[in-house]
Amino acid sequence: LACSLPSAMEVKLETAPVDKRFANTNQAKHCYAYYNAYHQCMYENNDDAEACFKLKRNYMSLCPTKWVESWDEQREAGTYAGPVPGEK
Amino acid sequence: AIGAVMYFHSHRGGEVMLFAGLLATTLSMAIWWRDVVRESTFEGHHTVVVQEGLRNGVILFIVSEVMFFFAFFWAFFSASFCPTIEIGAIWPPKGIECFSPWEVPALNTMILLLSGASVTWCHHAIVAGKHSNAVISLALTIVLAAIFTGFQLFEYSSAQFSISDGIYGSTFYMATGFHGFHVFIGTTFLAVCLARLLSFHFTTDHHVGFEAAAWYWHFVDVVWLFLFVAVYWWGGA
Repeated sequence: LACSLPSAMEVKLETAPVDKRFANTNQAKHCYAYYNAYHQCMYENNDDAEACFKLKRNYMSLCPTKWVESWDEQREAGTYAGPVPGEK
Repeated sequence: AIGAVMYFHSHRGGEVMLFAGLLATTLSMAIWWRDVVRESTFEGHHTVVVQEGLRNGVILFIVSEVMFFFAFFWAFFSASFCPTIEIGAIWPPKGIECFSPWEVPALNTMILLLSGASVTWCHHAIVAGKHSNAVISLALTIVLAAIFTGFQLFEYSSAQFSISDGIYGSTFYMATGFHGFHVFIGTTFLAVCLARLLSFHFTTDHHVGFEAAAWYWHFVDVVWLFLFVAVYWWGGA
Protein backbone atom coordinates (compact mmCIF):
# COMPACT_ATOMS: atom_id res chain seq x y z
CA LEU A 1 0.00 0.00 0.00
CA ALA A 2 1.77 3.05 -1.13
CA CYS A 3 0.57 6.02 0.75
CA SER A 4 1.84 9.26 -0.54
CA LEU A 5 0.45 12.67 -0.05
CA PRO A 6 -0.24 14.72 -3.10
CA SER A 7 2.52 17.34 -3.33
CA ALA A 8 0.00 20.12 -2.92
CA MET A 9 -0.63 18.91 0.58
CA GLU A 10 3.03 18.74 1.60
CA VAL A 11 3.44 20.41 4.92
CA LYS A 12 6.81 21.67 6.09
CA LEU A 13 7.18 21.32 9.83
CA GLU A 14 9.64 23.75 11.29
CA THR A 15 10.13 26.14 14.16
CA ALA A 16 12.44 29.04 14.93
CA PRO A 17 16.07 28.46 13.94
CA VAL A 18 18.59 27.33 16.52
CA ASP A 19 19.97 30.31 18.40
CA LYS A 20 23.22 29.80 20.30
CA ARG A 21 22.18 32.53 22.76
CA PHE A 22 19.47 30.17 23.98
CA ALA A 23 21.28 26.87 24.02
CA ASN A 24 19.40 25.15 26.85
CA THR A 25 16.32 23.01 26.80
CA ASN A 26 14.31 25.81 28.40
CA GLN A 27 13.42 28.05 25.46
CA ALA A 28 11.29 30.51 27.41
CA LYS A 29 13.76 33.37 27.02
CA HIS A 30 14.03 32.55 23.29
CA CYS A 31 10.27 32.96 22.90
CA TYR A 32 10.36 36.16 24.94
CA ALA A 33 13.18 37.58 22.84
CA TYR A 34 11.25 37.04 19.59
CA TYR A 35 8.03 38.42 21.05
CA ASN A 36 9.78 41.63 22.11
CA ALA A 37 11.75 41.78 18.85
CA TYR A 38 8.51 41.56 16.85
CA HIS A 39 6.95 44.47 18.73
CA GLN A 40 10.13 46.49 18.42
CA CYS A 41 10.15 45.76 14.68
CA MET A 42 6.50 46.81 14.30
CA TYR A 43 7.25 50.04 16.13
CA GLU A 44 10.28 50.81 13.98
CA ASN A 45 8.54 49.95 10.68
CA ASN A 46 5.25 51.70 11.38
CA ASP A 47 3.28 48.48 11.91
CA ASP A 48 4.43 46.89 8.65
CA ALA A 49 3.34 43.31 9.23
CA GLU A 50 5.26 41.98 6.23
CA ALA A 51 8.60 43.30 7.39
CA CYS A 52 8.17 41.66 10.76
CA PHE A 53 6.51 38.46 9.56
CA LYS A 54 9.45 36.13 10.33
CA LEU A 55 9.67 37.41 13.91
CA LYS A 56 5.96 36.88 14.41
CA ARG A 57 6.09 33.41 12.95
CA ASN A 58 8.96 32.48 15.25
CA TYR A 59 7.37 33.73 18.42
CA MET A 60 4.02 32.17 17.51
CA SER A 61 5.84 28.86 17.13
CA LEU A 62 8.02 29.06 20.21
CA CYS A 63 5.68 30.64 22.75
CA PRO A 64 2.80 28.95 24.53
CA THR A 65 -0.41 30.59 23.29
CA LYS A 66 -1.51 31.43 26.82
CA TRP A 67 1.64 33.46 27.37
CA VAL A 68 1.11 35.43 24.16
CA GLU A 69 -2.51 36.14 25.08
CA SER A 70 -1.59 37.28 28.57
CA TRP A 71 1.27 39.49 27.32
CA ASP A 72 -1.01 41.07 24.69
CA GLU A 73 -3.55 41.82 27.42
CA GLN A 74 -0.83 43.33 29.60
CA ARG A 75 0.36 45.50 26.73
CA GLU A 76 -3.15 46.85 26.26
CA ALA A 77 -3.51 47.48 29.98
CA GLY A 78 -0.10 49.13 30.16
CA THR A 79 1.14 46.61 32.70
CA TYR A 80 3.58 44.67 30.53
CA ALA A 81 6.80 44.11 32.49
CA GLY A 82 9.00 43.80 29.42
CA PRO A 83 10.44 46.41 27.09
CA VAL A 84 7.74 48.56 25.47
CA PRO A 85 9.04 50.22 22.29
CA GLY A 86 8.94 53.96 22.51
CA GLU A 87 8.97 53.97 26.31
CA LYS A 88 12.03 55.08 28.24
CA ALA B 1 8.04 31.60 66.79
CA ILE B 2 4.53 30.30 67.33
CA GLY B 3 3.47 33.76 68.48
CA ALA B 4 4.93 35.35 65.37
CA VAL B 5 3.14 32.90 63.08
CA MET B 6 -0.13 33.47 64.92
CA TYR B 7 0.31 37.20 64.65
CA PHE B 8 1.12 37.11 60.95
CA HIS B 9 -1.98 35.05 60.24
CA SER B 10 -4.16 37.21 62.49
CA HIS B 11 -5.05 34.45 64.90
CA ARG B 12 -6.57 35.51 68.19
CA GLY B 13 -3.95 35.95 70.87
CA GLY B 14 -1.12 36.22 68.35
CA GLU B 15 0.29 39.46 69.70
CA VAL B 16 0.12 38.22 73.28
CA MET B 17 1.91 34.99 72.41
CA LEU B 18 4.54 36.85 70.42
CA PHE B 19 5.12 39.41 73.15
CA ALA B 20 5.24 36.71 75.83
CA GLY B 21 7.72 34.69 73.78
CA LEU B 22 9.97 37.68 73.15
CA LEU B 23 9.81 38.67 76.80
CA ALA B 24 10.65 35.16 77.96
CA THR B 25 13.57 34.91 75.52
CA THR B 26 14.96 38.32 76.41
CA LEU B 27 14.68 37.68 80.14
CA SER B 28 16.34 34.27 79.75
CA MET B 29 19.25 35.88 77.91
CA ALA B 30 19.61 38.69 80.43
CA ILE B 31 19.53 36.38 83.43
CA TRP B 32 21.84 33.84 81.79
CA TRP B 33 24.49 36.39 80.91
CA ARG B 34 24.11 38.13 84.25
CA ASP B 35 25.11 34.78 85.75
CA VAL B 36 28.05 34.45 83.35
CA VAL B 37 29.31 37.87 84.47
CA ARG B 38 28.83 36.86 88.11
CA GLU B 39 30.76 33.61 87.60
CA SER B 40 33.60 35.32 85.78
CA THR B 41 34.13 38.86 87.00
CA PHE B 42 32.89 38.39 90.56
CA GLU B 43 33.70 34.76 91.33
CA GLY B 44 36.82 34.31 89.17
CA HIS B 45 35.88 31.00 87.50
CA HIS B 46 36.98 32.01 83.99
CA THR B 47 40.47 30.59 83.75
CA VAL B 48 42.50 31.01 80.58
CA VAL B 49 41.19 27.70 79.28
CA VAL B 50 37.60 28.77 79.88
CA GLN B 51 38.28 32.04 78.10
CA GLU B 52 39.66 30.19 75.07
CA GLY B 53 36.58 27.99 75.02
CA LEU B 54 34.32 31.01 75.09
CA ARG B 55 36.25 32.70 72.31
CA ASN B 56 35.93 29.59 70.14
CA GLY B 57 32.23 29.41 70.94
CA VAL B 58 31.63 33.01 69.94
CA ILE B 59 33.54 32.55 66.70
CA LEU B 60 31.48 29.48 65.85
CA PHE B 61 28.30 31.35 66.63
CA ILE B 62 29.33 34.15 64.29
CA VAL B 63 30.08 31.53 61.62
CA SER B 64 26.53 30.23 62.04
CA GLU B 65 25.25 33.79 61.59
CA VAL B 66 27.25 34.00 58.37
CA MET B 67 25.39 30.88 57.19
CA PHE B 68 22.15 32.62 58.03
CA PHE B 69 22.96 35.61 55.84
CA PHE B 70 24.33 33.32 53.14
CA ALA B 71 20.78 32.10 52.60
CA PHE B 72 19.40 35.57 52.01
CA PHE B 73 22.23 36.50 49.70
CA TRP B 74 21.56 33.27 47.79
CA ALA B 75 17.94 34.28 47.42
CA PHE B 76 18.95 37.74 46.23
CA PHE B 77 21.45 36.51 43.65
CA SER B 78 19.18 33.72 42.49
CA ALA B 79 16.48 36.26 41.74
CA SER B 80 18.70 38.95 40.29
CA PHE B 81 21.30 37.13 38.18
CA CYS B 82 18.72 35.68 35.81
CA PRO B 83 15.55 37.68 36.33
CA THR B 84 12.41 35.88 35.21
CA ILE B 85 10.25 36.80 32.26
CA GLU B 86 7.41 37.69 34.61
CA ILE B 87 9.36 40.71 35.86
CA GLY B 88 10.62 41.63 32.41
CA ALA B 89 13.93 39.73 32.52
CA ILE B 90 15.67 42.81 33.93
CA TRP B 91 16.97 43.80 37.36
CA PRO B 92 15.82 45.91 39.06
CA PRO B 93 12.33 45.05 37.80
CA LYS B 94 10.33 47.64 35.94
CA GLY B 95 8.62 50.15 38.19
CA ILE B 96 10.91 49.71 41.18
CA GLU B 97 12.49 52.99 42.23
CA CYS B 98 15.70 51.92 43.90
CA PHE B 99 17.73 53.89 46.39
CA SER B 100 20.72 55.65 44.94
CA PRO B 101 23.67 53.86 46.52
CA TRP B 102 25.66 57.08 46.63
CA GLU B 103 23.34 58.88 49.02
CA VAL B 104 22.36 57.44 52.41
CA PRO B 105 23.76 53.92 51.78
CA ALA B 106 27.26 55.26 51.08
CA LEU B 107 27.05 57.48 54.16
CA ASN B 108 25.98 54.47 56.22
CA THR B 109 28.95 52.53 54.87
CA MET B 110 31.29 55.25 56.11
CA ILE B 111 29.52 55.33 59.47
CA LEU B 112 29.91 51.59 60.00
CA LEU B 113 33.52 51.56 58.86
CA LEU B 114 34.28 54.39 61.28
CA SER B 115 32.52 52.51 64.06
CA GLY B 116 34.70 49.49 63.29
CA ALA B 117 37.75 51.69 63.74
CA SER B 118 36.45 53.17 67.00
CA VAL B 119 35.70 49.76 68.50
CA THR B 120 39.25 48.71 67.63
CA TRP B 121 40.51 51.87 69.27
CA CYS B 122 38.54 50.86 72.35
CA HIS B 123 40.17 47.45 72.41
CA HIS B 124 43.62 48.99 72.23
CA ALA B 125 42.68 51.37 75.04
CA ILE B 126 41.47 48.51 77.24
CA VAL B 127 44.67 46.56 76.65
CA ALA B 128 46.75 49.67 77.39
CA GLY B 129 44.78 50.32 80.58
CA LYS B 130 43.58 53.71 79.31
CA HIS B 131 40.16 53.77 80.86
CA SER B 132 38.87 57.16 79.76
CA ASN B 133 39.98 56.54 76.14
CA ALA B 134 38.17 53.22 76.22
CA VAL B 135 34.98 54.86 77.48
CA ILE B 136 35.13 57.61 74.87
CA SER B 137 35.80 55.24 71.97
CA LEU B 138 33.13 52.73 73.01
CA ALA B 139 30.58 55.53 73.49
CA LEU B 140 31.53 56.84 70.03
CA THR B 141 30.99 53.38 68.55
CA ILE B 142 27.53 53.16 70.09
CA VAL B 143 26.61 56.65 68.90
CA LEU B 144 27.70 55.78 65.35
CA ALA B 145 25.66 52.58 65.52
CA ALA B 146 22.62 54.56 66.60
CA ILE B 147 23.13 57.06 63.78
CA PHE B 148 23.35 54.19 61.29
CA THR B 149 20.10 52.75 62.62
CA GLY B 150 18.48 56.17 62.45
CA PHE B 151 19.45 56.65 58.83
CA GLN B 152 18.22 53.16 57.91
CA LEU B 153 14.87 53.83 59.56
CA PHE B 154 14.64 57.08 57.63
CA GLU B 155 15.42 55.24 54.38
CA TYR B 156 12.78 52.62 55.18
CA SER B 157 10.18 55.29 55.88
CA SER B 158 10.91 57.14 52.65
CA ALA B 159 11.17 54.05 50.45
CA GLN B 160 9.21 53.93 47.21
CA PHE B 161 8.69 50.17 47.49
CA SER B 162 7.67 47.77 50.26
CA ILE B 163 8.44 44.16 51.13
CA SER B 164 5.32 43.18 49.18
CA ASP B 165 6.59 44.66 45.94
CA GLY B 166 7.59 41.49 44.19
CA ILE B 167 10.84 39.64 44.46
CA TYR B 168 12.82 42.88 44.62
CA GLY B 169 10.97 44.00 47.72
CA SER B 170 11.21 40.59 49.35
CA THR B 171 14.93 40.11 48.83
CA PHE B 172 15.77 43.72 49.69
CA TYR B 173 13.85 43.87 52.95
CA MET B 174 14.69 40.37 54.14
CA ALA B 175 18.41 41.00 53.71
CA THR B 176 18.56 44.58 54.97
CA GLY B 177 15.91 43.95 57.61
CA PHE B 178 17.74 41.08 59.23
CA HIS B 179 20.94 43.09 58.98
CA GLY B 180 19.23 45.93 60.84
CA PHE B 181 18.09 43.51 63.52
CA HIS B 182 21.67 42.31 63.92
CA VAL B 183 22.82 45.92 64.19
CA PHE B 184 20.34 46.30 67.05
CA ILE B 185 21.69 43.18 68.76
CA GLY B 186 25.27 44.36 68.25
CA THR B 187 24.49 47.82 69.60
CA THR B 188 22.88 46.30 72.68
CA PHE B 189 25.91 44.06 73.19
CA LEU B 190 28.23 47.08 72.94
CA ALA B 191 26.02 49.04 75.35
CA VAL B 192 26.24 46.25 77.90
CA CYS B 193 30.03 46.33 77.44
CA LEU B 194 30.02 50.08 78.06
CA ALA B 195 28.11 49.57 81.29
CA ARG B 196 30.58 46.90 82.36
CA LEU B 197 33.53 49.07 81.33
CA LEU B 198 32.22 51.90 83.47
CA SER B 199 31.96 49.40 86.35
CA PHE B 200 35.58 48.36 85.81
CA HIS B 201 34.75 44.75 84.94
CA PHE B 202 37.45 44.50 82.27
CA THR B 203 41.16 44.11 82.98
CA THR B 204 43.96 44.70 80.50
CA ASP B 205 44.26 41.00 79.68
CA HIS B 206 40.81 39.62 80.53
CA HIS B 207 37.85 41.05 78.61
CA VAL B 208 36.31 38.21 76.63
CA GLY B 209 32.87 39.81 76.66
CA PHE B 210 34.23 42.91 74.99
CA GLU B 211 36.16 40.89 72.42
CA ALA B 212 32.99 38.99 71.58
CA ALA B 213 31.06 42.24 71.15
CA ALA B 214 33.79 43.70 68.95
CA TRP B 215 33.91 40.58 66.75
CA TYR B 216 30.15 40.61 66.43
CA TRP B 217 30.28 44.26 65.48
CA HIS B 218 32.89 43.63 62.78
CA PHE B 219 30.71 40.82 61.44
CA VAL B 220 27.74 43.24 61.21
CA ASP B 221 29.97 45.71 59.38
CA VAL B 222 31.17 43.12 56.87
CA VAL B 223 27.62 41.96 56.15
CA TRP B 224 26.72 45.58 55.43
CA LEU B 225 29.65 45.89 53.01
CA PHE B 226 28.36 42.88 51.09
CA LEU B 227 24.84 44.32 51.18
CA PHE B 228 26.05 47.66 49.91
CA VAL B 229 28.02 46.20 47.02
CA ALA B 230 25.51 43.53 46.00
CA VAL B 231 22.05 44.89 46.80
CA TYR B 232 22.47 48.65 46.64
CA TRP B 233 25.23 49.11 44.06
CA TRP B 234 25.18 46.12 41.68
CA GLY B 235 21.47 45.47 42.19
CA GLY B 236 20.40 49.08 41.88
CA ALA B 237 19.52 51.21 38.86
